[in-house]
Amino acid sequence: MAQVIVNGIVSAALIAPPAVAFSMLFGILRFPNFAIGGYITVGVFAAYAMNVPLALPFWVAALGATLAGAVIVWISDQIIFRPMRTSAPVTLLVVSIALTFVLEHSVRLIFGPDVKGFNLPLERPITLGQIHITRSQIHLIGTALFIIVFTHLLLTRTRTGRAMRAMADNPELAEVRGIRSTLIRVVATLYCGALLGLSGVSAGFDLAIEPLLGWSLTIPIIAAAILGGIGSVYGAMLGAVLVGLAEEFSTLILPSSYKIAVGFGIIAMLLLLRPQGLLGQPEIKK
Amino acid sequence: MDFSTSRRRILTGSAIAALGSTLSPRLLYANDAISIGSLTPNTGGGAPYGGNMAAAIRRTVDQINASGGVLNRQIKLTQEDGETNPETATRAADKLINVNQVIAILGTWASSVTLGIMPKCQSANIIQMCTSSSDDIPIRDTKGLCFNFQILNPVWGRALGKMAIDRGFKQFKLMALNNDFTRSILTGFEEAIGPGRLLEKPFYYNANQASYKAEVSRLLEGNPDAVFIPAYVTDFTSVYKDIYRAGYKGQVITVTFAASEPFKKAVGAAADGILHGFPIPPLDSPAYKQYLQEAGLQDNGQIQHPYGTACRDQISVLALAIEKAGTTEAEAVKRAIYDVSTGPGKKVVYNVLDGLKALRAGEKINYSGAGSAVEFDQNRQLIGRDIQLYQIRNGRDEIIATLKVR
Amino acid sequence: MILAQGLNLQWGITGMVNFGVAGFYAIGAYTGGILSTRVGLPPELAIVLAAAGAGVVGLIVSLLTMRLREDYFAIVTLGFGEIVRLLALNEDWLTEGPRGLKISVRPFDFGLTNASYALVYLGAVAFTILIIYVICERIRSSPYGRVLRAIREDDVVASVLGKNIVRFRVQVFAIGSIFMGLAGALFAHYVQNISPDTFMPMIAIFIWMSVIVGGYGNNRGLLLGAGIVMVILEGSRFLGDFVSFVNSQQLASIRIILIGCILMVVLRFKPRGLIPEPKFSSPFERTPD
Repeated sequence: MAQVIVNGIVSAALIAPPAVAFSMLFGILRFPNFAIGGYITVGVFAAYAMNVPLALPFWVAALGATLAGAVIVWISDQIIFRPMRTSAPVTLLVVSIALTFVLEHSVRLIFGPDVKGFNLPLERPITLGQIHITRSQIHLIGTALFIIVFTHLLLTRTRTGRAMRAMADNPELAEVRGIRSTLIRVVATLYCGALLGLSGVSAGFDLAIEPLLGWSLTIPIIAAAILGGIGSVYGAMLGAVLVGLAEEFSTLILPSSYKIAVGFGIIAMLLLLRPQGLLGQPEIKK
Repeated sequence: MDFSTSRRRILTGSAIAALGSTLSPRLLYANDAISIGSLTPNTGGGAPYGGNMAAAIRRTVDQINASGGVLNRQIKLTQEDGETNPETATRAADKLINVNQVIAILGTWASSVTLGIMPKCQSANIIQMCTSSSDDIPIRDTKGLCFNFQILNPVWGRALGKMAIDRGFKQFKLMALNNDFTRSILTGFEEAIGPGRLLEKPFYYNANQASYKAEVSRLLEGNPDAVFIPAYVTDFTSVYKDIYRAGYKGQVITVTFAASEPFKKAVGAAADGILHGFPIPPLDSPAYKQYLQEAGLQDNGQIQHPYGTACRDQISVLALAIEKAGTTEAEAVKRAIYDVSTGPGKKVVYNVLDGLKALRAGEKINYSGAGSAVEFDQNRQLIGRDIQLYQIRNGRDEIIATLKVR
Repeated sequence: MILAQGLNLQWGITGMVNFGVAGFYAIGAYTGGILSTRVGLPPELAIVLAAAGAGVVGLIVSLLTMRLREDYFAIVTLGFGEIVRLLALNEDWLTEGPRGLKISVRPFDFGLTNASYALVYLGAVAFTILIIYVICERIRSSPYGRVLRAIREDDVVASVLGKNIVRFRVQVFAIGSIFMGLAGALFAHYVQNISPDTFMPMIAIFIWMSVIVGGYGNNRGLLLGAGIVMVILEGSRFLGDFVSFVNSQQLASIRIILIGCILMVVLRFKPRGLIPEPKFSSPFERTPD
């Protein structure tokens, strides 16, 4: 039982940072961007390319993936989403799915479909009573926590962060108050891209590196972000933990082949019962 | 407005190909070429194999064409991607049958794809050659057109189960990827070890999950001597990482294509100790050695291109059968397939060119392939393949035992 | 095609975003297949019942979700589609699970040869499309259709005008679901072998492409859109017959990249589709904001 909780938390550490990024992007760009899966895939393969074929140290690769993530999200925003910012959210949603196809299959075209791994040995766990956890899983959780706290501070304690929140709350008002929305948009996409690139590294580390990796994470990520409430950093973290635990615990009751449905189930229930999420502000109807 | 008829003509979805057949002139493909299609899993679950399957067929066709073709006709090969997805595959098969006018479709891999295109092939009298192992294949193939270059799953699973018991394991837990293919291997394994050795009812998991930790915890509960996990390579990589990180010290057993080269590269030294088994190509057969050469591979003692080899055999046997039958008519070719591949007392050939030469010299031949000896029973299934059990040691497969399945 | 019609009715006309197309399609296909093969009903009746079944499920789903914002609604329906697929995958006793349900009976079978059978089936499908097209056109141009479009453009105004939005939406969603179920059942009896893999969310996306490319709220543009999408999907296969410098595996990736790019370009430069919805001359017509 204790192990189930640990498993849930490790899964949560994997989906919390991208859930934060998804949530921020949703706030600023005003549509659910399904391309997060594609961005994560780009991140993990950037790291793989640097770590294995180029034989650079793992931390350099992770840094590279972060940069690659930032650049790809920024570029895709510049050439695709920004020019379309007046379109309906749903149109943008469909575009983002198309973008995922393009990104994932470009990666497949370059790297081929085989599974890959970083140049890191697998570790045996540290055992504490009934619980097994590996050192790098602890690092994974630590990194996720750091990202969450850092992001929260960024949003609440810096001018840029406050401007981002203002924009997410009410773009027109923010514009009127002299916030340079274009600049903020660039900063936000770069930052979220960096988070997604880094998430790719964690995912590649925990799972198997392959082009569809990002797609398999997309639903739990979105579930976590919606559960937490769009725009809330700690909410996304809490959402990630709950989704992680729910998926792990569900296998005790349901046949495990239904696990994928759990993420969707959570999303559906929550949207029906409490659309603003656990920690989110209720949306103000105009 | 005459718009509606022309619109409907363009638009009627998957029926577009069916229409194509009535509209597009056969002239598109020169009448004297023999049209053959391949439908390999270039993307989706079979993606790790699809590429070299398609390439093996292409190479062999090029060889045949360069040496003058079959029945003095060139082979026109059309290659499609079935995406390991029966729905896409059905549409692709539609196109192959109605537009390209193929006489045979080779290279289907997933059982769901082979079975999915079967109704279309049966009604158009198209020969199928596959490496699928669902036991439904001979049952649904009522016209006797589908030749299988793989042994059936339960046979394979039973062989692995037997070998596992021989190695002295007493308590097992089983988990399979939720897929017809891996599930029926699991069923065979379960039969072979019997209920007494099973700690818990086997269960299934789905691919493309964000985490497999819950399944792995459940699998390892009760610390069984051995766990058996028939899976595909992508999900097995994730699952195995979690098994290792959960500190499991017992024996992990799987099927060889889950523990393939990409897997070993991805997990590194942690892969050591895994047992895996597979119906093997005859490694010392000249046909297998020729295949390695054709594909530009080094003989490293490992199994390489397990399905690519089978695809070389498919196109070779088909070409030989057409030459033997003297026609591309399905009934005659079907009989000729037995004639050129099965039965004693004939000249054994290891590649298609030698075979064609011998046929033209009036000899009776038996093609022995790179993937198997290619001997069919009356249900168009392979009579037998060797199954080998390997252990990964220092990142390489070492042979532990070989079982001849008959 | 039929799917796209159903979807267009739901989205194009009332602005409801259903990503669960694959789910309704699957319900239709499985209900039809099980009724005709397992229960032994005549396949024609099974197809009709399958459509009705999908309609009932659509009714329930829409009653539950109707008040959601459109992008959330999209996510919930996507989830619905996945859950249906998982049910089909796991409930072996009903659906034969991953090995797929084989359908042994054929509708409209009068002992024809295979080639002519395909044509008869094609004719039946074309006829169904025509009927549905007519129904959709009727709905679109009727007073009912105007209410629906009003809901799409601004549900607050519509409700102020005394229209019961929820009831309208639910009705339309259910009708759309019936069409999707019908499409599923027809498909199932055509391929005669359905498995859960057939109903991946990918389908929803292709259908979406049809609706979007053709222009929403417009039944005629939709037919064009579906045609274009099918031509791209199937036509890109022919690419391999002419291009030989890439292997088939790379080609498969290129196909999908191409599809994604086309979709993005169309949405970027022709956001209202290739044939936009015709404007109305009615003085009461609101201009979209």
